Amino acid sequence: MIYLLSFILTIPTETNRLTIVSDYLYEMINGLAGRSWIFDNLTDLPLESNLVKAALIGACFMFAWLAGADDAEVARRRKILLITLIASVFVIVTTKTLSKTIFLPRPFIQSQKTFHLEGEQLVESRRLDYRVPLDDENQKSFKALQNGEIIQNDLGSFPSDHAGFYMTLAVGILLACRSAGIIALFWTIFVTLGSRIITGQHSPLDIVVGSGIGIGILLVLQVVIGNLGKRIIDPIVNWTLKNSAVSSAIIFVVLFEAVNKLEDVRLIAKVAVDIAKHLIRG
Amino acid sequence: MKDFIKTENLQMTTRKFCFFALFLSSVLLGGCGLDQKGMVLLTDKSYRASVVGTNNDGFTVPDGILWKQGKLYMADEGGGAFRVWTNADDVKTLADSSLGILSPEDLVMDAQGNIFFTDDDAGGVWEINDQRKPSLLAGKDKGLISTEGIALSPNGQILVGDGKQHQVFSVSKSGDVSVFLGTDYGITKPESMVYDDRGNLYVADNEDDILYLLTPDMKLHRPLENREGFSPETIWYSHGTLYITDSSNGKLFSYKPEEGLKTIAVFGGKLAAVSGITTNDNGSVYLSIQTNLKKKLGYIVRLDKEMQP
Repeated sequence: MIYLLSFILTIPTETNRLTIVSDYLYEMINGLAGRSWIFDNLTDLPLESNLVKAALIGACFMFAWLAGADDAEVARRRKILLITLIASVFVIVTTKTLSKTIFLPRPFIQSQKTFHLEGEQLVESRRLDYRVPLDDENQKSFKALQNGEIIQNDLGSFPSDHAGFYMTLAVGILLACRSAGIIALFWTIFVTLGSRIITGQHSPLDIVVGSGIGIGILLVLQVVIGNLGKRIIDPIVNWTLKNSAVSSAIIFVVLFEAVNKLEDVRLIAKVAVDIAKHLIRG
Repeated sequence: MKDFIKTENLQMTTRKFCFFALFLSSVLLGGCGLDQKGMVLLTDKSYRASVVGTNNDGFTVPDGILWKQGKLYMADEGGGAFRVWTNADDVKTLADSSLGILSPEDLVMDAQGNIFFTDDDAGGVWEINDQRKPSLLAGKDKGLISTEGIALSPNGQILVGDGKQHQVFSVSKSGDVSVFLGTDYGITKPESMVYDDRGNLYVADNEDDILYLLTPDMKLHRPLENREGFSPETIWYSHGTLYITDSSNGKLFSYKPEEGLKTIAVFGGKLAAVSGITTNDNGSVYLSIQTNLKKKLGYIVRLDKEMQP
């Protein structure tokens, strides 16, 4: 306990050292890019395609939802999975809020000549090595970067919301069903998140902290809702057992959205807010 | 609930909460160490960036700035004042809200050293003469409601853009006001204006995101329009180059008709709202950054040409 406490409390002072280690690892992993056109195109797929990025994780979730030797086992798994879905919402809100608060450009941007604020002074930043992947998308975006075209989302890379979100789902699946969870975890680490380091979207530190937040929130909510929320969560689980077809259909819709990192829900929420504002203002 | 409290579950939950709170705190504190707060990315790698002043140096949030003879004149929009800055220890206020100014916007200086500036809240054109005495040259009563861009024409007239009336007015040094570009020219918000060395007037409209060019024969052209990621805020002409700031997209551009638009630098975080611009005799570019008008946080950043090896 004391060791853990002292380790955690020294993290802020060790930030610089952590960054150096993370940058070293990033440059090593990004070193895989820019060598093979085929490899780079395959690596870019999880960034461009939701099917490649998350469909397998969704399938694992569905498997864990439906599998089970008896009703008690199915109920236990569904309870964990429902809490996992709730946790994923908290995780995306937390990581998005942090990444908008903490200004840290993506590693591929840090390969350019940049200055950052230290106190009230501008200091030249250490330029990270960046091997540009050979696929069209990454070539295009790197050319755009050199012309000064940067999208706002590329300026807040810490922590990785992808890491937080998909790690929450994968670990949740693992808690519910070991076999499906291992597949989901493997895919999350080596495909969904690995591709983001190789292509310079995130550093290992972004990924580790994002994952840590995801797992932390998931475990806390499993304990809190699992105990305090019995009156709410257990009846829902029982309802899904009695109405298997309807609940599976609903879970399909929820998963369809979840693997898309709730982007459509956020769009719908934005439209709802805009309509509400429009109505209030007349 | 009572049963739950009595059980060991609560202890376990509390312990996990403590771990989680510590974890989150460390992430946040660690994140603070990683936080770069603000960034300047130089796509033109011949420049270096530095901060030459902040709101701790006697000004708040400047908008228009003008470098003349070793002094930086600034329309301090956040402070409702007009100031002159020589170095970090020497900032003088030449006019403030006691005169009636509210949000000084942009400025020019004529050959005699008289300064004229606009105010988008108080309206009008304000003058600080060569004896540094401030006064209102022409106010709202003369139809100058919300004044934005200001330029000195080759014949000595003061041109003033009005964002609410969508016109550009001509103001004589005695305070007479006439319409220079009426609403029929279609300029929505003449935010900034500057003459080039051929007598062409450039007008930046940051509402329609258009850069206009008025030739001496009074024909209005649109050299830059409908460009994604382009909203001209302040324009400045020096040595054949038109410099353009863009506070919406955090960018500094250079423009030459024969070369087109080029990005010099991209600004992010606390430094994203790049606003006013001027250059000194050495070609260094001074930029005002309006970090937060309400909290009165601002920067003056300078881009210097790096010495070539």
